[in-house]
Amino acid sequence: MRILTLLFLSILSFSAYSAQDEYEFANAERAATFKALTQELRCPKCQNQNIADSDAIVAKDLRDKVLMLVNEGKSKQEVIDYMIDRYGYFVHYQPPVTPATIVLWVLPVLIVIIGFGFIVFRQKKASKKQKWNAQDEEKLAQLIKQYQRQEHNS
Amino acid sequence: MNKKLLGFIPFLIFIFLCVFLYQGLFGNPRELQTGRIGQTMPSFVLPDLMDESKQWRDTDLKGDVYLLNVWGTWCPTCIAELGYLTELREHGVRIIGLYYEQAYDPDFGDQFDINALRNEVQNMLDRAGNPYQFNILDLDRTLALDLGVSGAPETFLVDANGTILLHHTGDINPRVWRAKFAPVMQELSE
Repeated sequence: MRILTLLFLSILSFSAYSAQDEYEFANAERAATFKALTQELRCPKCQNQNIADSDAIVAKDLRDKVLMLVNEGKSKQEVIDYMIDRYGYFVHYQPPVTPATIVLWVLPVLIVIIGFGFIVFRQKKASKKQKWNAQDEEKLAQLIKQYQRQEHNS
Repeated sequence: MNKKLLGFIPFLIFIFLCVFLYQGLFGNPRELQTGRIGQTMPSFVLPDLMDESKQWRDTDLKGDVYLLNVWGTWCPTCIAELGYLTELREHGVRIIGLYYEQAYDPDFGDQFDINALRNEVQNMLDRAGNPYQFNILDLDRTLALDLGVSGAPETFLVDANGTILLHHTGDINPRVWRAKFAPVMQELSE
């Protein structure tokens, strides 16, 4: 049993070692930037995969380029701009606000506003429909009085 | 009257959605990749595919309108378009090849044989037609990356000043040429 555990642990540590061995960075911050970038940048060939995920040759080229730029000390935004410059806005999963994409931000807000407006409008209309005159008021007062008396009596 | 109109709104939204989604079926998602349009050709120094002693620079290409065709013998669509491109060459279109090698990867220690590649290219061009003035070998795909190339075939239309006017992903056939390239070529020749 002990030998089995040892074997299991050694396998675990080996796989952990080989997983982190693939790329080398000067510091942890650069490693984090690289990881974030490869997840945020979209593969231009396999369009529904990021470049970390895709096996397309262009995705590998982009990963290598990102690695190079990150190791040169470029910031995350600089690398994104570099890629957008070549592959268009398409290459980044976060689209920028432009006249063509503004509808993505405005439409949800607009729908909420219109929805609330509709509710308020309906309530106002419904309250206007109810006719309430002096006769109704008197009837109400009478009913209240009646029930109050009943409570006193009991 | 007002209420009847309101009742129609969900129906109208439904119709709008149907039209929107239906036309989405026919959109080409690959036509979005246009990072370099309107910019000048990125600078490069790359060897000729057939003769490594010959180096091509971006400045060598200036002076004439040309097509830069990204291709490789590994790519069936590229081979399919060679015939039509050769026809275009015969009509006076200047076509320069950018050879996109995908088997070469130093990380995996691949044995890359330039002579075998040259033979293969020569055979291919002899058989299917040779549309190229010359071919530039982009072994590390650096120029391809600078141009925003995602695969092959892709074709750029570059004017005499080195400005990139068109970036087409996919093959060039008579239909694409008429719809996309011919109007721009017409404008340039006027």
